[in-house]
Amino acid sequence: MKKKCLALLACGALILSLAACGGSPASGAGNSAANDSAQASDAQGNDAQPEALSNEDAAPGDAGFTEIPIFEDEEVGFMNVSAVYFQPVPMSNGNESIEDFDLHLECDISAMENNLGYGPGDWVPYLTIDYAVTGSNGEEAASGTFMPMAASDGPHYGANIALPNADTYSLSFTFHSPEENGYLVHTDAETGPGGTFDDYFADGNLTVTYDGWDYVPQEW
Amino acid sequence: MLRYLIAVTEDLFSPAILLGMLTAYVSLAWGKRGLRTLAWGSGLGFAAAVWMAYMKNATSKIDTGGWNLRIFALSLLALAAFWILSIRPLRARLGTAGTWAVPVCAGALAFTFLFYALPNDLAYPFTFSLNGESVFSTAFFYRLTGWLLGILLAVLAYFAVSRCAARLETRLVSVLLNAVLLINGAHQASKILQTLLTRRIIPPRHPLYHSLFVIARYTSNYSGYFLYAAMLATVSIPVALWVRSFRSKEPYDNPAQHRKIRASWRSARRWASLMAACFLMGTLNVTVVSAIQNRPVELSPAEEFETIGDNLYVPLERLEDGHLHRFEYTTPNGVGVRFILIKKPNSSSYGVGLDACEICGATGYYERKGQIVCKLCDVVMNINTIGFKGGCNPMVIDYSVEGGYIVIPTYTLIDHEKTFQ
Repeated sequence: MKKKCLALLACGALILSLAACGGSPASGAGNSAANDSAQASDAQGNDAQPEALSNEDAAPGDAGFTEIPIFEDEEVGFMNVSAVYFQPVPMSNGNESIEDFDLHLECDISAMENNLGYGPGDWVPYLTIDYAVTGSNGEEAASGTFMPMAASDGPHYGANIALPNADTYSLSFTFHSPEENGYLVHTDAETGPGGTFDDYFADGNLTVTYDGWDYVPQEW
Repeated sequence: MLRYLIAVTEDLFSPAILLGMLTAYVSLAWGKRGLRTLAWGSGLGFAAAVWMAYMKNATSKIDTGGWNLRIFALSLLALAAFWILSIRPLRARLGTAGTWAVPVCAGALAFTFLFYALPNDLAYPFTFSLNGESVFSTAFFYRLTGWLLGILLAVLAYFAVSRCAARLETRLVSVLLNAVLLINGAHQASKILQTLLTRRIIPPRHPLYHSLFVIARYTSNYSGYFLYAAMLATVSIPVALWVRSFRSKEPYDNPAQHRKIRASWRSARRWASLMAACFLMGTLNVTVVSAIQNRPVELSPAEEFETIGDNLYVPLERLEDGHLHRFEYTTPNGVGVRFILIKKPNSSSYGVGLDACEICGATGYYERKGQIVCKLCDVVMNINTIGFKGGCNPMVIDYSVEGGYIVIPTYTLIDHEKTFQ
């Protein structure tokens, strides 16, 4: 009887130790990385890699929501651009199924100092953003157009995508002018912000390309 | 159906082999003490998996990657302890504890195998109806059937492996068990590496980062080979049983004993056949069936239409069948812009749109059992909302119905040519 109790105790201790370890998983492996300082990547987007998990924007207590950064703080036109990914997420309006997807790719945009009327740090609405993921063999692994959407940490552009193979990918974002979606800017001296989208888009769309996205499919 | 059959096979077949081998080994080497400890470990693993499945689906508290790291670490520790404590002189020095050490390690291994493998599979039925389908729908039934078949296959594989291996010598079973444990340990170590790299716990500046990433990439892209290796290591069990069953010359004193021996080998052959059949089914599921399930969908060919001036004309009578019709207009720039037409059910109106949506681009739609499905994301369209903007609906184009024709102006297609470039 004593031996049975010992065996039971040993097995129970395993569960308890696991539960204790996992009580705050985000404060374990995740946060130890998050405490490292994040390095801003340069404008070319090819050299620096973010070394921090940026889940500080997650809703409090949402330990399961762990954003994995791809690149951070690329500056293009009047925008600061970051890319992260996490588990595929169900979305409204017929996009509830996540069966065929491996990740949710998210493009975070914030305005920098500008003369278009956006406050610094504001999200930029009415953008059309095309994405392309290219494998190390030069073949396109995924592409499409992001949809605007809202999560617990605010609005962003994103999409669930299928990316089943591990590889070092090149990730490219192409930004179309908000004017293409009917977003206008006051042009009179009294009420206008002083600039137009042509200040940035006169030569065509803006592009951010990040080479060196080391990706391995995750279990979410 | 096939999707869940494949998923459950991929998740559970390897743990079924491992648990079957562990069961056979502890029953041979440790008797009832070993079996009871293994049962406790498995029971606790199942309970923990139920808890994890609930927490994953009902809360947002579970960081799966973080939990997996801990489960794998515990499993590898238990494996190391299992191997170290298998050294008899070492166990002898531990006294009474030594007689429990290996069974407890086996129980701990069983706990980690089930705790890791089961949560997703237990939770699958709660994700079946995410497309808004009823639990009484055919689609739900098919998914449930695939899930149940996968579980049945894993359970049968477990019993077949354990019953077959238990008929072999302890030493041989020990060697084969250590082989599958080593393969599984390597798989778990590779998954730990993949998570550490992705989460930058091993940062890119680490001198070994690139070498480790190459290992992570290959072990991820070829992860199915760990299952093949485990099956290869244990497929000798049914073969050995079959051969022995025909070569056996056990002595007997009377016809009753002879009948008993023959019945025993007949039973062994049946279990060996079942094990071989399970391995064959498991292999087929993750190879042939998976290839069938994941084969690219071919879009139906584009149909002809009339062009008069700047308008395209499609006769309404061609749409009366209620099926999806696909057309392709080549713009002056040489870009083929596809569009789809369908007569809406129980209605006199028509669904008209591009063969592309804003989310998935120009991947197109196809007809599956009367439903219109996006080829890329597999989302089923509500046919009545085709022609309305939003979600995964086909992108909207201008059209009119005139004189028994759907009339589509070419400019509305030219406007979208960049979608198809």
